[in-house]
Amino acid sequence: MLKHHPTLRYILTRSLWYFLTFLMAVTLNFFLPRLGASNPVDILMTKVGAGLDTKAAQEKEEAYLKEFGLVEVDGNGTLLRTSDGRPVRTPIWKQFCNYIAMCLKGDFGTSFLNYPKKVSDIIKTALPWTFALQFPTIILGWLVGNVLGALAAYKRGIFDKVLFPFSLLLSAVPFFAFGMLLVYQFAIRWEIFPAMGGYAGGLIPGFNLAFFSSAVYHYALPFFSIFIVQAGSQAIGMRSMCIYELGTDYVKYAKGLGIRENKILYYLFRNAMLPQLTGLALSLGAMIGGALITEMIFSYPGLGMAILTAIQGNDYPLIQGCTLLITVCVLLANFTVDILIGFLDPRVRAGQRGK
Amino acid sequence: MKIFLNLLKTPSFLFGAGCFLLTLCLAFIFPFVYPIDTVTRVGLPYMPPSASHWLGTDHMGVDMVSLIVTGLRSSLYVGFLAGIIATGIGTLMGIYAGFKGGWQDNIITMVTNLFIVIPSFIVLILISSSLKEGRSLALIAGIIGCTTWTWSARSVRAQASSLIARDHIALARVNGTGTFGILLFHILPYLMSYVFMVFILQIASGILSEAAISMIGLGPYDSVSLGTLLNESMKNEALGDGAWWAFVPAAGLITIVVFAFYVINTSMEGVFNPRLRK
Amino acid sequence: MSIFEVDDLHLHYRTRFGEKIPAVSGVSFALEQGEVFGIAGESGCGKSTLVNGCMGLFIPPLYPTSGDVRVAGESIMNRTPADVRTNVLGRKVSMIPQGAFNSLSPTRKIKDIAADMIESHEKGVSKKAIHDRLQQRFRLIGMDADTVLNEYPVRLTAGMRQRCVISISTLLNPQVVIADEPTSALDVTTQKAVITMVFDMLDKGIFSSMIFITHELPLLRHVADRIAVMYAGEFVEVGTTEQIIFDPRQPYTKALMGAMLSAEAGQKQKKPVAIEGAPPNLAKPIVGCRFAGRCPEARPECHRNKQDIRIVGNRQVRCDYAV
Repeated sequence: MLKHHPTLRYILTRSLWYFLTFLMAVTLNFFLPRLGASNPVDILMTKVGAGLDTKAAQEKEEAYLKEFGLVEVDGNGTLLRTSDGRPVRTPIWKQFCNYIAMCLKGDFGTSFLNYPKKVSDIIKTALPWTFALQFPTIILGWLVGNVLGALAAYKRGIFDKVLFPFSLLLSAVPFFAFGMLLVYQFAIRWEIFPAMGGYAGGLIPGFNLAFFSSAVYHYALPFFSIFIVQAGSQAIGMRSMCIYELGTDYVKYAKGLGIRENKILYYLFRNAMLPQLTGLALSLGAMIGGALITEMIFSYPGLGMAILTAIQGNDYPLIQGCTLLITVCVLLANFTVDILIGFLDPRVRAGQRGK
Repeated sequence: MKIFLNLLKTPSFLFGAGCFLLTLCLAFIFPFVYPIDTVTRVGLPYMPPSASHWLGTDHMGVDMVSLIVTGLRSSLYVGFLAGIIATGIGTLMGIYAGFKGGWQDNIITMVTNLFIVIPSFIVLILISSSLKEGRSLALIAGIIGCTTWTWSARSVRAQASSLIARDHIALARVNGTGTFGILLFHILPYLMSYVFMVFILQIASGILSEAAISMIGLGPYDSVSLGTLLNESMKNEALGDGAWWAFVPAAGLITIVVFAFYVINTSMEGVFNPRLRK
Repeated sequence: MSIFEVDDLHLHYRTRFGEKIPAVSGVSFALEQGEVFGIAGESGCGKSTLVNGCMGLFIPPLYPTSGDVRVAGESIMNRTPADVRTNVLGRKVSMIPQGAFNSLSPTRKIKDIAADMIESHEKGVSKKAIHDRLQQRFRLIGMDADTVLNEYPVRLTAGMRQRCVISISTLLNPQVVIADEPTSALDVTTQKAVITMVFDMLDKGIFSSMIFITHELPLLRHVADRIAVMYAGEFVEVGTTEQIIFDPRQPYTKALMGAMLSAEAGQKQKKPVAIEGAPPNLAKPIVGCRFAGRCPEARPECHRNKQDIRIVGNRQVRCDYAV
């Protein structure tokens, strides 16, 4: 049955691959932070344990160890102990299984910094902000950049000579540096836009006009700092792609047939877009990374800020929860682009027929 | 060699190479005429630029020019080292996959795609956050190199697999040259120009990655780099105080160096692939 | 009146530094109704440039130097690009390109490309009318319209693609069709199918006459009524098929025939003899006959005296010393 539905085969193959990648990501997400020697409980103890006597400190430590799944417990929840009374440490592979089980339930543990707040709660408040900022920005930047690049390739002349070096310069600017420059110029010097935050200090998030208008106002600078650099780098790529496509046989033939110019442009765009989509998928990881740093610069209340404060405070569960979520988002985005390419490029589907 | 001469005639190449050489001078030759001191406090915190201190001071009162030059050196070092590592790994993987084909190719491609899709930035965060104390410049470069090689692998593999179809490779195989010999003597020379272009871009990407990771506070411990300067300026509210000299020069230098590399790469592309020229 | 006339056509390329490289030098011929005119020559002799010139399709760096091209008496030179696009290309003169696969945009269905062709030349045609026309035309020339029209190029075989391209090129019933190596990338069976199709169309009156360009001279034996042999931007011999194939006069034509493998029944299989050397570099001014450097019958005078094409009987030959 599968043989006759190349599209279905394609979707299934990609899904399987992405699932494997997801498993890999979860594994990396678990093991990498544990590379270092630092023990999260020790860090927590230094913060909390000052001033407690030995017995109380020990009890507290054991409580934390139990909470973070680092020691074995029996059916009643009592710590198992070795012969000299110390708690039995959970072997790493068992910790890993517990971790996976927890993740599947959506429980990413408890945050250190904001103890006893759950990581998933923190993420839930931060995620909408990040999504609202990054999703439209990256897509719009991609679209506008590609259109500009195509125009530059087709028109050549002054438009190209000005746009190209300018775009190249823009794509060289790191996202965050551009963000900083924008903040400095438009927020500090000229005071047109606010320098930080997602919304004005005194307001409480809610579905009212005051909040929305404040949010939009605070949205402007972060939006532009991501959008402009993104558009710049896309324009560069698209321009090269289109220059290449302009020399192809189908353009020559279409011209020879007397087909109208804007129809030919459409062919061009449609064909050049495909490698650009692939490029989008490949660079999504980097783009989201850059956008996160932009959030940090603007103290925008999204995942970026969450990660930043987590890093500064050694809040491992929060770091891990955020990174896992971001990885999943990148995977999902890549998957979507892959499927999209499958639909838009007949050659990909043709490649799936059992040749 | 004729290609190299053509390159020298291209104005964009000269511009890019010139910019890069200028930054190299700033990093390595300038210190001979200017005392670089990143420790002594020479003034008040965040003093604006003056005749004696061209870029003012940082949040502790240290001379900004010294910090910039030192930071430039570190960033260049990390970028270069990361570039070498990434290009090395990527080229080897790419050549092997492109040449061997078959199941070796499939496995390497799968691994490459795995590394591509999992954001390297995230991996950087995860590794760096766990290694609190031991983060030297070289280690950071190593981590960056080991997570960003995927792009070179992909590009080189595409080139290599188109090369193996050529006749002189078949001839070498018939003559009994081993795999490694073929790789080294028959494929690599053709790829050199391409690998070099890839290398340029990897260095640029390494510099950007280092700046990114340092900016969020996971950079080298105890070293000054352009990224750590940006981080310091953020932590100490330089933006709010209007102390532009604390971050504009650093950000500007990163941009200039990366831009120079991009221009060099574009001009090389124009020479090696004439269709892109006007 | 000839349906297609080329009158002393000169075309050149302009380089980055402003130099003019003569790509086609003084080509003249005339095509009658119902005639198939073959042009044979090596790669790089200027065949494809001539094709562009014959269509009025001048894309920089290609420019016309002098000369005229007339379709049914009407000149197609000295027109604006917009005029050429609307009235000449596809309507009066249409071309069949060499590589069909690359000539069809991979992300567009056959019927859409064909529809674009019609819409670009005729205003206000309804989608239904276009659909019916395409169905009718494809069926007329023996193609399975329903399957082929709805496919993407990648799903068709090479032969199918070439036939699609031929169909699309002739949709508007052009007067002259220029086929630029239409069979070069195909296997022999498919070649036969394509040629059969083209002649079928000629018989049905879909187009009036054809210029068939190839580097395989023996192919023209089965296809052309008259043949011109091209070398270094010039015609070196023009004559009927019988004359060129069996009684070549000009040394280059003779050498070309000698270099070909021929599966003619009854003809003794002669060993093909390659022509030594390479065509001259047209960027530099050439003294004397352009073929002199490689001509097996060259005399000292050949390197000095430019050869003009002369009328010898009912053919033209560019060689004063040809037998």
